[in-house]
Amino acid sequence: MTNFVLQAKGLSRHYPGDGVPVRAVDTVDMAVETGEAVSVMGPSGCGKSTLLHLLGGLERPTSGEVWLGGQRVDRLSETGWARLRRRSVGFVFQAFHLVDELSAVENVELPALLIGASRKAARGRALGLLERLGVAGRAGHLPDRLSGGERQRVALARALVNEPLLVLADEPTGNLDSGATAQILRLFAGVHEAGQTLLLVTHDPRVAATADRLLTMRDGSIVEDVRLEGGLSRQALLAQVAGWEP
Amino acid sequence: MSMIVRLAWRNVRRRPAQAALLLLMLCLSTTLVSLGLAINETGREPWNRLHNSVNGFHVQAYAAYHTREQLELPRLPQPDPANAASADDQLAELAAQPGVVAVGGPWPILFAEGRVGGVALPIWVRVLDSQPAAVGRPLVISGRWLDDGDGVVVLEDGLASLLNVAPGDEVTLAGQRLRVRGSAMTTSIRRYPGEFPATIWTNRATAAHLRASGAVPLGAALELRLARPEDAAAFVAARAPTYPDTGSLMAWERARSRANGMEPYTLVLGIIATLLAGLTVATAAVLVTGRMAAQSRQIGALKAIGVTPRQALAVVLVEYLAVATVAGAIGIISGTLLSPLIGRESPILYGAPAAPPITWPRAVTAFAVAMAVVVVGSVHPALRGVRQSTVRALASGARPPRRASRAARFAAIAGIPLPVVLGLRSAMRRPGRTLANAIGLALGVAMVIVGLGASKATRDFLASQAMDEEEAVVRAANAMLIDQAVAILFIGAGLLVALAAVNAMIVAIFAARDAARNHAILRAVGATPRQTVISFVVAQLGAGLLGCAVGIPLGVLLYNSTVTGSAKDLPTMALPALTYVVVGLAVPLLYLMAIIVPAARLARRPAAGALTYE
Amino acid sequence: MREAMLALLAKEPAHGYELRQRLTRALGPIGEVLNPGQIYITLSRLEKAGLVRSDQVAQAAAPDKKVYEVTPQGREQVASWLLDVSWPKVAPAEFHLKLVAAAVTGLADPIALIDAQRRDLLRRLRDVQRLAQAAPSDDDAVLILEGTALRLQADVRWLEACERRWTTRRPQ
Repeated sequence: MTNFVLQAKGLSRHYPGDGVPVRAVDTVDMAVETGEAVSVMGPSGCGKSTLLHLLGGLERPTSGEVWLGGQRVDRLSETGWARLRRRSVGFVFQAFHLVDELSAVENVELPALLIGASRKAARGRALGLLERLGVAGRAGHLPDRLSGGERQRVALARALVNEPLLVLADEPTGNLDSGATAQILRLFAGVHEAGQTLLLVTHDPRVAATADRLLTMRDGSIVEDVRLEGGLSRQALLAQVAGWEP
Repeated sequence: MSMIVRLAWRNVRRRPAQAALLLLMLCLSTTLVSLGLAINETGREPWNRLHNSVNGFHVQAYAAYHTREQLELPRLPQPDPANAASADDQLAELAAQPGVVAVGGPWPILFAEGRVGGVALPIWVRVLDSQPAAVGRPLVISGRWLDDGDGVVVLEDGLASLLNVAPGDEVTLAGQRLRVRGSAMTTSIRRYPGEFPATIWTNRATAAHLRASGAVPLGAALELRLARPEDAAAFVAARAPTYPDTGSLMAWERARSRANGMEPYTLVLGIIATLLAGLTVATAAVLVTGRMAAQSRQIGALKAIGVTPRQALAVVLVEYLAVATVAGAIGIISGTLLSPLIGRESPILYGAPAAPPITWPRAVTAFAVAMAVVVVGSVHPALRGVRQSTVRALASGARPPRRASRAARFAAIAGIPLPVVLGLRSAMRRPGRTLANAIGLALGVAMVIVGLGASKATRDFLASQAMDEEEAVVRAANAMLIDQAVAILFIGAGLLVALAAVNAMIVAIFAARDAARNHAILRAVGATPRQTVISFVVAQLGAGLLGCAVGIPLGVLLYNSTVTGSAKDLPTMALPALTYVVVGLAVPLLYLMAIIVPAARLARRPAAGALTYE
Repeated sequence: MREAMLALLAKEPAHGYELRQRLTRALGPIGEVLNPGQIYITLSRLEKAGLVRSDQVAQAAAPDKKVYEVTPQGREQVASWLLDVSWPKVAPAEFHLKLVAAAVTGLADPIALIDAQRRDLLRRLRDVQRLAQAAPSDDDAVLILEGTALRLQADVRWLEACERRWTTRRPQ
């Protein structure tokens, strides 16, 4: 019995449509182990974003169970989820969702302050993370002065500041150009290598490919669950890459 | 938590105009409340000074010689000697109580018909000695005090100044011609015309003559000083249950608060303050709702990283509560400082009104009013904004509409032009804001109606025939007081109308902001700017008409229940129908003018700007 | 092209002209690029390789025509071609023919082929990205790897589009 960071059992989310209920997420079973990076892909409307919201407590499931760090969490109140999210779940959104009125470092230290860290400790951790992600020089700026890539890095720092059990990312590169995308993916890979458990929802194959495991969703259900590891040897791969160029 | 305060402060800095507006309106409300409470006490200092200089009473008692039935007869008979004796005994018993340090009186009081300064009026004659009393020596204002001669009187100073009687003049009492030695003032009786009927002092010799020529003995008055002034209330409380109700027993504090005479002002200020508070609530609701829409993404982001709904609510409320606290402080100070300016014209104060010291009850009331207004106005929209699902808050643009109302569909079928239908639909999608707008207007209109009604009523009253000469004189004296009160009423109405206009403009601005996107879409598919503006104006106008429709009857109701309740002579609302019609037409017109600027801006905004994804 | 022709023949033997028609139908407007000469050359090469056999068929009112038929060897070739996930340079036309061939011959499920290819590409993408991330970011190798990754990304996206189209074609 491996230690699952995240588990969903029979998870469903229905919306009452005009007459026929819409099954955004339909009886999903899945689990993520510690240190795993899992990506969820699927066409638009397949329910992957809703699944992410359910796993992070941003929406309440219609039925089913969610277990986080060995604790059942789907029945928690708004307040209970808020407290849990502080400590255990970091979110990275497509639209960044930083607080516009706070500077970069103030945004990052916010979750640390929420769990009761001293101002000094929170500030220290925040600056450390910004440094690690390469945006320490922008610490005092407000979000509207930052580029998209910088904002997402600040958002990632904010998600990591309390060393959460799990980082949930929803189309993290959706608003970024390809240069910023490459940078962010590099950072995600680095974070994963350091042992952070990740769940990425995306329609971008490049983002999906940073994960070890790929779940494909269609019409609210998971239709495929494959490991992406174990490709060609390094030599063979390099040869192929080289051979592809005219 | 300091983070909450920090965020609230940043939010204020970003939108200072809204906080400033709310502060202004709250300050006006708290100032009026504080003013209304303070003017009741502006008479304190002058009264205290007089009380000290007359060696004033701690306990004042009066015993009547007549029975209740006798007092109700049209012509007062001579009292029954047995009743008179028992009344005198009562007073003697009081004087003999433990704790009594000094006694003034008992002094007999007679009732006589008199003629003073050419005016016929009833008089209460108090019989004092030429020697200064142990307690309660009236302060001589003009001329000098009574001597032991025959046929001499001293007038109460209010009476003397109102009827222009100087020392050396003659007055008639019970048919006897008497000479005026001077005029005096005391805290034992309220200044005429505060105290009815007027008082004249005389000595025992003259009183005997008056009794012989028909003056009726009414009773006797007694004044006591105790070991400590603070004991007066307890002294009175112990004896009040057994004291006959034809007389009176009063402690000095009570006498002081009765002597103020600021009731008309308190009433008027009370009305204005209440309506203004109501208007501020409506404005606060509109501001907070608008703020929630603009801030929902911030709230969503906060909730996503683990801020509880309660903490998110705190960020919003801290801002408004801080404004309320500042407004409370400003209100209590300015209201107190302004209080001497009101009521200077009152003829019944004992001297120039002075700003009373700030007391706990008044300060707490001012703060409480500010807090209450803010809480009532902001809690509901703030809670709604915070309770919204995090996902929706993060994705927010305009609030998604509820299902289209049936009435709107009706209108469409009935052949009403499209812009009007769209306007009505959008008004009904935001019932809260429409309601707040209507309430704001209703209150302004109500105030105008009250002002108009009061003005007409007082003019009618003053123009009507006085019942007798005395009343004519008193009316003239009070004319200034009443004029000032009505002036305050109109100022208040003007203020309310101005703020209601501001309220209407804010609602229109927010509505225009919300509507911009929809209107851009409409224009992109071919509606002309004029059509979109019409639909916008119709939407807002609905609230305007509603406000008028409610405001007029509200004003009438308010007037009938408050103004006529306290001023016994004023009739119920008697404005001609034309006035209502004029108000009913003028208000929507003024309202249109108020919202014309936001509406025009809406039309001029290029469609592309509103359509691009933010 | 070779394998595609083989696969189309595997369903049913045909002569040159018919085969050309089948190909054109499968490729749509792109098929007009094919010239008949190329088809016959390829057919004879296939015959020489033993993957195809030709028969003369007598016709009533026309000269004899040569009908080509797939050999067992040829059939094997088709099967392994269908299952081969190695990614050639010009993908769309060739892969599409593969899917058509699979559908027509019933030898494989087109959706399954798409899924398998997509998985493979994602694995490659993953490996390429890891290589790129292991190197310092200003290295030239990273640029080359970036280019490879972007192409793989594009190809995966195209495969997803194929899947959407082929899912609607699938009988329910």
